[in-house]
Amino acid sequence: MSETNGTPMLEASGLRSGYHGVNVLKDISFEVGNEVFTVLGANGAGKTTLLATLARLIPSTAGSISFLGDDVTRIPAFETAARGMGYVPQERGVFPDLTVMENLTVGGMIGERSREERIEEVVELFPDLGNLGNQVAGTLSGGESRMVACGRALMQDPALLLLDEPTAGLSPLYVDMFFEKITEIHQDKGVGIILAEQNATKALEVADRVMVLSLGEAFAVMDAANLTTDQLKEGYRI
Amino acid sequence: MNLEWLDAFLISGLFSVVVIIGLALLLHLQLGLTRIANFGVVGFFGIGMYSFGVMFTKVDWPFGDLPAFLISLAFGTLVAGLSGLLVGWLIADLDEDGVLVGTLGFATVVFILATTEQDLTGGALGLGGLKFPYDVGTVKADEFLWLIIVSIVVSLIFLYVWWVHRTPYGRLLIATGGNEPLARSLGKATFRTKLWLFAVGSAGMGLIGALFGVMERFLAPENLGIDVTLAAMVALVIGGTARAWGAVIGGFLIFGFFDIIVQSYIPFPKEWYGQAIPNAKLIVEGLVLMGVLLFRPLGILGAMQRDKLMRRVHG
Repeated sequence: MSETNGTPMLEASGLRSGYHGVNVLKDISFEVGNEVFTVLGANGAGKTTLLATLARLIPSTAGSISFLGDDVTRIPAFETAARGMGYVPQERGVFPDLTVMENLTVGGMIGERSREERIEEVVELFPDLGNLGNQVAGTLSGGESRMVACGRALMQDPALLLLDEPTAGLSPLYVDMFFEKITEIHQDKGVGIILAEQNATKALEVADRVMVLSLGEAFAVMDAANLTTDQLKEGYRI
Repeated sequence: MNLEWLDAFLISGLFSVVVIIGLALLLHLQLGLTRIANFGVVGFFGIGMYSFGVMFTKVDWPFGDLPAFLISLAFGTLVAGLSGLLVGWLIADLDEDGVLVGTLGFATVVFILATTEQDLTGGALGLGGLKFPYDVGTVKADEFLWLIIVSIVVSLIFLYVWWVHRTPYGRLLIATGGNEPLARSLGKATFRTKLWLFAVGSAGMGLIGALFGVMERFLAPENLGIDVTLAAMVALVIGGTARAWGAVIGGFLIFGFFDIIVQSYIPFPKEWYGQAIPNAKLIVEGLVLMGVLLFRPLGILGAMQRDKLMRRVHG
């Protein structure tokens, strides 16, 4: 298993979790530093379950999670955000009854910097949001919703951002834009990123390291540059 | 005070409308914003009413009526709030079906307690001895003044709800109702938020119940029927669950129309008032509810006007 450069931000050890007594994740262990760490895998591999478990939205049944040096395995979900973990779900990522600006301000309720300053930075990153401020989020397109969800997570000033398939179902233009933004968020803002993706080609372009999930098991954890097509195919069970 | 112009039916009708509006406003916070489908409104209304009544009539107060009245009122409100805290703790993490059954079950428990605990509540025979905390001369004047006092209380509840819509707390409630896991992932303690909201709303419903009991002067289990919950819910759904004004518009349109206009101003034959008009009222309420749900599912006032609100908040 490859290791991070420097102190890891997040460490998962022997992690198991799932739904209704069935373990989807089986003894997953990895660590993530201040990098873009991509989680690849076919449908049903456990990518969404892994991110939701790290965000404490699904309880783990075994193993441990350490974040910024603290054991967060048993803390409630709302505390992970206060400790600097941002989470962007794949679907239902906005509050549909709130406007775009209200969605952003809900994300900015924690943190020390002024909310206005953070909104300015988010709008600078996603200029389209500036024109959509008063629009109710439930009426946005898929791409716009993802921008709002991502912007709202950034309003928390996270140290680590969990992105669950941010480009799923989007048009190629939006896909390209999102991958550019992921690089920008990491390089310019210094935010560590765990990116769950199915789009392996694009994801590997921005990734520092990669983990391939296969039926809930970590098939490979390595530098992204070293992942071969054969390994990927084996992990995807193609 | 010369109140000859004032009809007793009008006072009674207006009082019913004000009470329903008060309950619907509190339900609006729970159902309209936070999506907690509280089907036990009458339970909290009833436990506040009976706690107040028992405290006021059964305790041998060493001081005058007004302090005893106010302490009993606070007690009724507190008991309803604590009940809300307990019920809320049990249901806050349940799905919609669980919330429905849990709250309905609580209302049933309160009804059974009111019926069976004869030493405290008087059981099916009821509990008398309640009175207004003042005497301004005639029963009609007392009732009219009480209507004004309760209207002021309900207006304050309206102002609170209106204020909640414009605060970060209101956005937190809407966020929690709209997507609770997402709100949790953003650092919001949604369980605590729902619990607090449920307890405060229940305390408010208990206060309204106690104020209702004073107007009745006699507490009986018949006052604890499911129709109280349904009346608040129908008013809210018809007016618009997502809007503060929805409860007011719905309450006046449905209950005001029958309890005030039909009963006070339309000269139907007297014998119709026994059964025909109450039955017609239920039929019309049902038809209007079906019509609203079919053709305007968000209620007469429609969805929340978040854009206008934002312009007011952020300029």
